[in-house]
Amino acid sequence: MTTTETRGAVKDTSLYVRGLGKTYVTNGEPHEIFHDVELTVSPGEIVSIVGPSGVGKTTLLRCLAGLLKPTEGEIRIGDRALTDPVPELGVVFQDYSRSLLPWMRSRENIALPLESKGVRRAERNRLAEEALVSVGLEGSGQKYPWQMSGGMQQRVAIARALAYQSEILLMDEPFASVDAQTRFDLEDLSLQLRSQLDLSIVIVTHDIDEAVYLADRVVVLSGKPASVVDVVDVDLGSERDQITTRSLPEFAEARTRVLRQIRRLDSHHPAETS
Amino acid sequence: MIARRALGVLEQLWLPVLLVVWWWFASASSTSPFFPPLQEIWGSFVSELDSGNLANNFWSSVRNIGVGLLVAIILGVAIGTLVGRSRAARTILGPYLQFARSIPQVALIPIIIGAFGITPVPKIWAISFACIWPVLLNTIDGIRAIDPAVNDMTRSYQITTRLGLMKVVLPATLPQIMAGIRVSLAIAVIVMVVSEIYGAAEGLGYFINHAKGLFKTEATWMGTLVVGVLGYALSAIFLIIEKRVLHWYHESAK
Repeated sequence: MTTTETRGAVKDTSLYVRGLGKTYVTNGEPHEIFHDVELTVSPGEIVSIVGPSGVGKTTLLRCLAGLLKPTEGEIRIGDRALTDPVPELGVVFQDYSRSLLPWMRSRENIALPLESKGVRRAERNRLAEEALVSVGLEGSGQKYPWQMSGGMQQRVAIARALAYQSEILLMDEPFASVDAQTRFDLEDLSLQLRSQLDLSIVIVTHDIDEAVYLADRVVVLSGKPASVVDVVDVDLGSERDQITTRSLPEFAEARTRVLRQIRRLDSHHPAETS
Repeated sequence: MIARRALGVLEQLWLPVLLVVWWWFASASSTSPFFPPLQEIWGSFVSELDSGNLANNFWSSVRNIGVGLLVAIILGVAIGTLVGRSRAARTILGPYLQFARSIPQVALIPIIIGAFGITPVPKIWAISFACIWPVLLNTIDGIRAIDPAVNDMTRSYQITTRLGLMKVVLPATLPQIMAGIRVSLAIAVIVMVVSEIYGAAEGLGYFINHAKGLFKTEATWMGTLVVGVLGYALSAIFLIIEKRVLHWYHESAK
C-alpha cells in the first residue's frame, strides 16, 4: 500500500518556530543575528515580519525556508522538524528578475519544480496554466520573463509557488521593486489567494503600511542581536480594501504601534552600534 | 523593404568587390614569382576544383576542425562544469589549467605529430587540445558567475541535480561557453593549417605547403585564400548558431 500526500488534507501544516537563533562566525568572532524568535503560523494566516533594515529579517526567512541552518532552536511544519527545503514551503524571492530563468518561458519556469517532483508533462502544463490563471496571467505562459513587466514577473514567481502546491508562501520583500499601483495590486492578489486557497503567508517587508494591510499579525523584530520585541494583532478582518481599510482607525492604531516599537528600540541602541 | 535590404548588402559588398577588382588589374602584369597575377590564382582555383583535388583537401581540413572542436567542446564543458562546481577542484587544478592555457598551442604540434604520426587522428587531437582551454576556462567562470539567487531558487524548489544541470546550470553558463567556442574556432583554424603544414598527406595546410614545394606560387596563394574564406565562413556560421541558441540572452539585454 502506498500513501500519497494530498494538499490540505488532515495533515497539520502549521509552521512552528521555537527559540530560533542564528549566529555567524566571521574570523573566529561570533556575530549573533537574532535569538529567541518564537512564531506560529496557522493555516490561512498571514504574518508580516518587520524591522529596521539590516536587522536580520531576510536571514530569518532563509532559515524558515530551510536554506540556512539556524544555530539554536527549531522549526517544525506540523510535527516534522524542518532541516531542508520542503514542498510545503514556496519561496517568493525579492528579486524576481534573478529568480526567474530568462531562457525559459513563464510556463516552463512554473513547471520546472514540478518536473523535479516527477509530475508528467501534461499534468505539469495543466498545473502551470491553472497557477497562471490564479495570479491573473491567463494566456501568458508563452511569454519570456523579460517580455513582462516587473509586476507580471512577480506574479509568475507567485504562480511557481502555487503550482508547486506549497501551503505556506515565504515572501522576502516581494513587492519592493515595483511601482506603487502594481504593489497595491500584488498585495490584493496575496489576500485573494489566501482566502481562495487557504494559504499561509509569511512576508518580510520594511513597509509598515504593507505589513499591517496584509497581516493578521505583525511581528516586530528589533535590537542587536535582534529578537521579537512585539507581536501586533491586526483586527481588520479578511476582507480588505486599499482605500477603506487603510483609512480605518484600527489600521492607524496598528500602524502607529508597530512604528513606535521599531523607533523606540532603534533609539535605545545607537550607543551600541559604534 | 527589399530595396532597403539590397542597399544594405551593397553597402557591405562595395569595398571587397572594389579591392578584388583593383587587385585583379594591379597584378595583371606582375612578373614577380612571389606575387602572381590574380588571374593565375583564379585559374589555379578553377583547375584544382575541376580535378577534385581542392575539394578533397578542403573537406579533410573541415573534418579535422569539426571533430577536433566537437571533442574540445564536449570535454571542455564537462570538465569545466565539474571543476566550476567544486571549490577544492578549482584550488587544486587552477594553476595547472593556467599553465596549460599559457603554452602556445602550435608549439605542441611537433610533439603530437612526432609521437603519433601524420595521420588525421593526431591532428584532431592537436586541435582538440588547443581548443579545449578557452571553452573549459570560460565554463568554469560561467558556472561561478551564476547568480546566488538562482541557486537559492533551485534549492528551495528542490530541483534535482540532473535537471538542474541540464535546465539551469548549462543554459546559465551558455553565454560564456559560446564566447569560449568563438575563441576556439579561430584557434582551430590556426592549428589545422599548422599541423597540416608540419606533416600531413592531405588538407589545406598540406596543399599550401605542397604547392610551395613545387614553386606553384599561384596555388600557394589560392590555398591561403581558401583558408581565409573557410575561417570567415566558420565564424559567420557560428554567429548564426549563437544568435539562435542565445536569443534569450541578446533579447533580454535589450
